[in-house]
Amino acid sequence: MRGCVISGSFLPARIFTMTNPNVTAHDGLEADPIERLTRRYENPAAEALAAAANGTPVVGITSNTVPWELVQSAGAFPCVINPTNPDPPDIGNFMEEGVFEDRIRAIFGAAISGDLHYLSLLLIPRTSEQEYKLYLYLREVARQNPRRPVPPVYLYDMLHTRSPESYAYGMERTRSLKQRLEALAGKTIERADLLQAIRESNAARRAIRNLLSLRKPEPRISGTEALACIGSSHLMRRREYARLAEEVLKRIETRNPLAGARLLVEGASLHHRGLHLALERHGAVVVAEDDWWGSRSSGEEIDEGADDLLQAIFEKYYLDTPSPRLFPFETADTWFQQASTGGIDGVVFYLPPEDCVAGWDYPRRRRYLDERGIPHLLVRDDAKSISEACHERIEKFVRGLAAGR
Amino acid sequence: MAEKQLECTVAAGEHQKSWFAQLRNDVFEKQQPYAIVQADMPFELFQVMGVPAVSNQWWAAIISAKRRSAYYLDILNSLGFHEGLCRYCSLSAASTLARDSQAAPWGGLPKPALLCARLTCDCLQRVFGIWADAFGSEFFFLDNPGATELPARWWEYSRHRWRELFEDHRLKFTVAQLQNLIGVLERLTGRPFQIDRLRDLMENVNRQEEYFEEAYQLICSAPRTPVRMHEQVANVMAAQWERGSEWAVGHARTFRDQVRERVRRGVAACPGERLRLMWVGAGLWHDTDFYTAFEEEFGAVFVWSMYLAFGPDGYIRYGLEDPLLALASRTVSMNEQLHNPPWANEWIVHQARRQRIDAALVLTPLGTKPAATGNRFIERALEDAGIPVLRVVADMVDARGWDPEGMRRRVSEFLTLRVQAT
Repeated sequence: MRGCVISGSFLPARIFTMTNPNVTAHDGLEADPIERLTRRYENPAAEALAAAANGTPVVGITSNTVPWELVQSAGAFPCVINPTNPDPPDIGNFMEEGVFEDRIRAIFGAAISGDLHYLSLLLIPRTSEQEYKLYLYLREVARQNPRRPVPPVYLYDMLHTRSPESYAYGMERTRSLKQRLEALAGKTIERADLLQAIRESNAARRAIRNLLSLRKPEPRISGTEALACIGSSHLMRRREYARLAEEVLKRIETRNPLAGARLLVEGASLHHRGLHLALERHGAVVVAEDDWWGSRSSGEEIDEGADDLLQAIFEKYYLDTPSPRLFPFETADTWFQQASTGGIDGVVFYLPPEDCVAGWDYPRRRRYLDERGIPHLLVRDDAKSISEACHERIEKFVRGLAAGR
Repeated sequence: MAEKQLECTVAAGEHQKSWFAQLRNDVFEKQQPYAIVQADMPFELFQVMGVPAVSNQWWAAIISAKRRSAYYLDILNSLGFHEGLCRYCSLSAASTLARDSQAAPWGGLPKPALLCARLTCDCLQRVFGIWADAFGSEFFFLDNPGATELPARWWEYSRHRWRELFEDHRLKFTVAQLQNLIGVLERLTGRPFQIDRLRDLMENVNRQEEYFEEAYQLICSAPRTPVRMHEQVANVMAAQWERGSEWAVGHARTFRDQVRERVRRGVAACPGERLRLMWVGAGLWHDTDFYTAFEEEFGAVFVWSMYLAFGPDGYIRYGLEDPLLALASRTVSMNEQLHNPPWANEWIVHQARRQRIDAALVLTPLGTKPAATGNRFIERALEDAGIPVLRVVADMVDARGWDPEGMRRRVSEFLTLRVQAT
């Protein structure tokens, strides 16, 4: 079976001209806000490196359940780490082949090879068990090899189960995180600092929500474009992000709705655009994804008028942020059930070979769709190299949806 | 089936079978509650409250030993759960989802009143949630706080200085969750929890593990091991699932006595023992004959697994003024102690030295990924300590990808080229 490397050459013209990540920026595109956000997305460390070069402490974050506002209010630059090489040199000495997701392997590899030298701190949340293991592994590498340039690591142990005990525990861990960041910054984080950071991040959330409103029910932006335009919010200053996202909004709101079957993507985490490219190559439009890089990156705003802003920040991440550890099923499924029953034509379940978590949800969610007559397709290929056979199945699925519209 | 040299090994097997038959009888005839629980749960609370607890991993091992794992896992896959999902923790659930009690060992699991798990990976709430739904039973979980302080040589703290070993906030959180579990058990049984009974039971657990420690030391110091690894496991785990009970303490004592007697008489499990092997990871439940396959040709005897060694180091808690806190400390870090850096690699090298290990086989179960973490650190630490390591990529319960002859050939080559040569 011949694998298909992700490339703009597969894209239909309307998508290619807007989203091709291989386009080199030049004067004509420099002012294009979509292109600017896409370049941030495709170069995830660019702003962090620039901030570090200017003397701003950079705090790397490994996924979505770290309070961005706390890091920001400490005067540091918060940035999600998204390296792409899952097989850096000598990773085999530490990390088991076939056990960790590529994303975690890539972060680990970058951390032990010195690629994250610019970080003042690598903040690892308990968003997944693999991240907890990442934390333990990095500590151990640093302990065994003090000369390796591993950045300092910190575990933000917010638990995701819904109980009064987990809530109290998470609140306490959030206070500890605040103290750690104050030590890093050499200053006390005041209420005014928190408020300013909350306002900044809320503005970005509003911008994202506005973008999402132009994806569903009538898409004016492809999923491939949208993923870059939204995902870049994790990689840059949110004030600047909100400004660019609003410009994007002005540009796309006057577009005609895109034709094509409207898809919801469900399953494993999407830290690149391979799946969206593959689906949209066949004329579909991804209008939502159950993922913190896309449709679930925003959620509700943090209450700027709360008496205890730290508690308000914690509650945002505890109650309104997706995580594979979220339980019970009723809570974990809420977003999926709402998203799959409005403004879509079909659902694509993405369970790549490395998946060992989302697959447990698949039969239950598939059953939910079957009971409502919503078409769905399972993709088990790695989206970075989708086989011809899988492309054929996607093509058939999309064609079937289009016929049924 | 591997040879049983100790009478107590036979007794342990018979006890488990009759215990399970009694449990089925009590559930079906008397409608008494019982629970299915993950192996790292605090069984002590169930013991104190008189709720029999069936270990998920024990039942999976039984299914696997009865050669039924392929049947159930195929059914699991046919229901839409893909083949890359964890098998050790889900095999027992698969036996329920199959809805084929005729095929199940010993008549199968009756409907439990409760299922319980600690959330030590991202799958467990899913597996147990699906399982509980299939039974129509309640599911209770303990969330698993992460460790950020991991002092060196944890086993030197765990008996007397356990309060220093685990962070206060983790213990406090775990105690709060244990109190919730107690509330559930009180509701199910209609009986009040008594803290003094827990303290007594914890003291009994200490006695039990002290017997195991004596047996362990006898195995350490004997010129040749008096008891093979798989018999150690059978005796230890039969008692650990009921730890602190009269039967369990008595069985641990009997095991110690029989090991001591064999040492006194100079009896070796394998008279031709020339190499002492270590098995790192869960047992290979579908092929326990593997563990004796290298004795005749190489004199290579498996003498160590985590099961006996962890009893004393992991379970003994002295200073039981607050038995619930002590129980929390026993529960809260098993995963770090047994599987992950820095604790697991450090402890396993320490164990290898004490047991005069010549070579180690390390199980990497790609079909149960969370159980495979930490292995590279363990392997490198053993190699750095001068102990050759062979990586065994296999699943502990799923025999579908297991090549018994091929793996025996690989081990023979390893022993010839890497162990005997040195």
